[in-house]
Amino acid sequence: MGFLPEIELPDRESLKTLKRNFGLVPKVYRAQLLRPDLVDGEVQLLDRLLFAKGALSRVQKEFILLVVSAENNNSYFAALHGQTLQFLGVKPDKSQQVTIDHREANLPEPEIALLDFARKLASQPRSFTELDVESLRKSNFNDEQILEAVLMVGLAQLLNCIQMGLGTEPDFKPRLTFPLKEVNPTAAEVRQIIEPDSAGEFVSGEFMSDESLSDPDFEIVARVKNGDTDAFEELVRKHGRRVYRSLVGILGTPEEAEDALQDAFLKAFQHLPNFEGRSRFSTWLVRIAINTGLQRLRSRKSFDSLDEESEDFRPRNIQAWTDSPEEYYSREELRGLVEKEVMKLPPKYRVALMLRDLEELSTEDAAAALGLTVPGLKARVLRGRLMLRESMVPYFSKAGASKS
Amino acid sequence: MISCRDFITELGNLLDDDIALEIREQLESHLAHCNSCQVLYDSTRKTLRIVTESGSFEYAGPIAEPLVSKIMDRIRNGCEIAPKEAES
Repeated sequence: MGFLPEIELPDRESLKTLKRNFGLVPKVYRAQLLRPDLVDGEVQLLDRLLFAKGALSRVQKEFILLVVSAENNNSYFAALHGQTLQFLGVKPDKSQQVTIDHREANLPEPEIALLDFARKLASQPRSFTELDVESLRKSNFNDEQILEAVLMVGLAQLLNCIQMGLGTEPDFKPRLTFPLKEVNPTAAEVRQIIEPDSAGEFVSGEFMSDESLSDPDFEIVARVKNGDTDAFEELVRKHGRRVYRSLVGILGTPEEAEDALQDAFLKAFQHLPNFEGRSRFSTWLVRIAINTGLQRLRSRKSFDSLDEESEDFRPRNIQAWTDSPEEYYSREELRGLVEKEVMKLPPKYRVALMLRDLEELSTEDAAAALGLTVPGLKARVLRGRLMLRESMVPYFSKAGASKS
Repeated sequence: MISCRDFITELGNLLDDDIALEIREQLESHLAHCNSCQVLYDSTRKTLRIVTESGSFEYAGPIAEPLVSKIMDRIRNGCEIAPKEAES
C-alpha cells in the first residue's frame, strides 16, 4: 500500500502498454489510477521517450534511469530498472554493479562517459556545464543522443519524485536496497533508524534468488493455458527478438532463423500445458529455441560436425591491442564486425560461444544444451574466444586500429 | 612455475572469474613476467567485452508482422509438430 488508496485496474490501453514493456503494471502507476487520464499521459511520454526506438539503445536508456534512481537512493526504481535490464539481456550482477558504481561494472568507455554525464546532471545540476556536453561528444555521442540522455535524466527524476510522493512499495523485493532513512521510511523503518541494530549500522545490500522473482509472463501464460490462443500473440511479440537472436547465431542466416523461429514458437505453444513454471517462461522458450536451432544444424549434410573433437589451437598473432578498441569504430560497425567474424567460426565453437557469451547461459546450462561435459563445453568456448580474438587482431591491434 | 600452455588452458576460467585463488595467484605471477600471455589475456578479455556489448544478432525493430501472422495462423490451424522434437 502507498499513501493513496489503490483502485482496481481498469481495462485501458495505456496499462497494456506498460505491461507489454515492463512485464507488469508497476505499482507506481497503479497508485495513480484515481486519475487514469493522467496515467495515459505519462505512458504516452514513456512510449515516446523510452519504449520507442531512439538514438540511444533501450539498454543505454535503462542504464541512465538506473543510475539516476541509484543516485536518488530510490530502491523502487533501482529494482524496476534492474529487472527491466534483466529482461533486456543484461546480467543481474552487471546491473547491480552499475547501481553501486557504474565505473566498476566493466562497461565500455563511452557507456561510462554516458553514465558519468547522467549521474552528474542528476546529482550536481548546478555545476553541470557545456563542458559536460562536450565530454559526451568526445566519446562519440551525437547531439540527438545527448538530447535523449538529458531527457532520460529528467524522466528518471520525474518518476522517482512521483514514487516518493506516493510512497509506492516495490513490485518485487529489490535485489539491493538503499539505506531507507533517505527514502520515505515506513514506521518500522523509522524505528530501525532510531534504534540501529547491534552493530550500529543499517543493513543494506539485501539479495534474493532469481527464482523468487515472479514471472512477468505468468498471467499471459495462464490465459493461453486456459484456452485464450490469441494471448499467445503477445508472447510472440514480446520474445520474438530474443528467440531470433538465439537462432540466427546458431544457424547463421536470417532466413533459416525465421523458419526456425516459427517452429520454436509452435513447439512452445504445443508444449505449454507441460510448462510448470519452474523457470521463467522466457528461459523455457529460449531453451526450446536453442534445441530447435541445434536440431536443424545437426540435420545439415555439409555442416562441420558439432560433436567431433579436433586438434589443439595455438594462438599465433600476438600483438598488443589499443586500450579502448571500441573507440575506433561506431556501434554499428562493431556489431557488423562481430557478426561477420562469429559466423566464420566453425559451428561447434560458434554455438558454444553464442550460448555462453551472447545468450549468457551458465556453463552448466550451455553444456547440457549441447550434450557436453562442463570441461568439454569450457574447452570449446575458450577455443571459440581465442579464434575470434585472432580474427579481430587486424582491427584492434595498435597497428591495425590506427589504420581504420 | 606454470607454462604458457598451462596459462592458456586456464584462460577461460580466468576470464569467467571461475577459478581457485591459488591458481589465480599462479596465473598472475606468470602474467607478471610473460609479455605474450599478457597480450593474449588483454586482447581476449577485450574481445569478450566487444562481443557481449555489441548487441550483435539482434533483430532490428519489432518482429515483423507477417512473421507474427504466420506463427499465429499455423497455431490456429492446428499445425502439428512431432512431440519427440520438443522440450518440455
